[in-house]
Amino acid sequence: MSVEKIKQQVERCIADLRAGQLAETGLQAIIAALDEQPAPRQDLLYLQASTTSVTGDVVGMLLVQDGEVSEGPADPAEWPYPTVLAAMQDGWRVIQFPDLALSLDESRTYGLGYEFILEKWR
Amino acid sequence: MKTYDCPPTLTDSQVLDVCKKGYHICEGVVPEEINRRTIEFVDNNPVIEPTEILDEDWFVEGVICQPEAAGAVRSLLGRNFVLPILMSNHRVHMPLAGQQWHRDGGSQYGPAQHYLQVFYYPETCTREMGPTELLPGSHHLFSLSRQMAHYGGIKSSVYAAVPAGSIIITVYSIWHRRSNSTASGIRNMLKYNYWRTVPPERDWIIEPDFDVVTADYTFPGPGTRQQFRDCIDAAEMFFWLCGKHDDFQSMGGQGWPMPANRNTKPLGFPGQLTGRRF
Repeated sequence: MSVEKIKQQVERCIADLRAGQLAETGLQAIIAALDEQPAPRQDLLYLQASTTSVTGDVVGMLLVQDGEVSEGPADPAEWPYPTVLAAMQDGWRVIQFPDLALSLDESRTYGLGYEFILEKWR
Repeated sequence: MKTYDCPPTLTDSQVLDVCKKGYHICEGVVPEEINRRTIEFVDNNPVIEPTEILDEDWFVEGVICQPEAAGAVRSLLGRNFVLPILMSNHRVHMPLAGQQWHRDGGSQYGPAQHYLQVFYYPETCTREMGPTELLPGSHHLFSLSRQMAHYGGIKSSVYAAVPAGSIIITVYSIWHRRSNSTASGIRNMLKYNYWRTVPPERDWIIEPDFDVVTADYTFPGPGTRQQFRDCIDAAEMFFWLCGKHDDFQSMGGQGWPMPANRNTKPLGFPGQLTGRRF
């Protein structure tokens, strides 16, 4: 049962409650539907940006979506998000900000740019 | 251990270009007959390290000592460089997913160049055949290979899709990977190193109008480092290759080697009045 159908079932139970007709079977149907829900899966988006700002240009990306790893389109001009902010506006949630300890000394910077890690749940 | 000498083939500008980018490509320099014999050899010896190919005179002459490529090595490593003692073959059965980004084990960072890593493609390698993907300028960018495993697409990377007989000379620490291939069949890529035996000096092809003070050290690398850092690192590497590393200094501010539209030569050049002396 989809989330929408579960919601409809809850609304039916509310209507039954108001009518004094709520039965245990109606509530059990909700529990059963919830038990049938697939386990949520996490998607990850690694974005390396040119600055620590979410508006900095994205210079690198890797996407883990629905259990598959993808580097995105070969042409960077076609990457889905030019900035971290654009990804956030599309529902991605930042779960890690750049580690500034990697760039304390400009002559000894570590790794590629300033890395944000974002997630979505499906 | 065999040493070799030959005329240098790189100019000042080309050496500086290597300092900026971290590689130099000699396209299609190996004769087709040598390419064919190489493929035949590795087909008969499909191992990871077919080092025995270095015992073949035709291979040493046609590939290892190929004048344009060996001349580039000579330009960067000086006279009497040591010829390779190990041959690797990255032999791929296509199609295949791309590798993770990495720099080879043993990479050291800094201006000194005591060895070079070289890739030889005996067959034409199109984009569909998974050519080596390089990140220009990344030889100055430290990272551990195991910390690059989550990197994917990188905006400023380049694919070394080259014709048969091409040789790519790289600074050892450059970030690279075999890109994904969609073609079918086998792709060979032979990898080997040359070694320096003499102190560095500016004994490549001198350009009369090349001015170390006004040369352009800028390179649009990964675009993630501090402004002008690429200039400083490229200039320091160039100084090292010239045998002048002890003189190298970067004054900072608007001084050399930062690029600008000045009305005179940049200030702060090593040894000049405005160079750091106190």
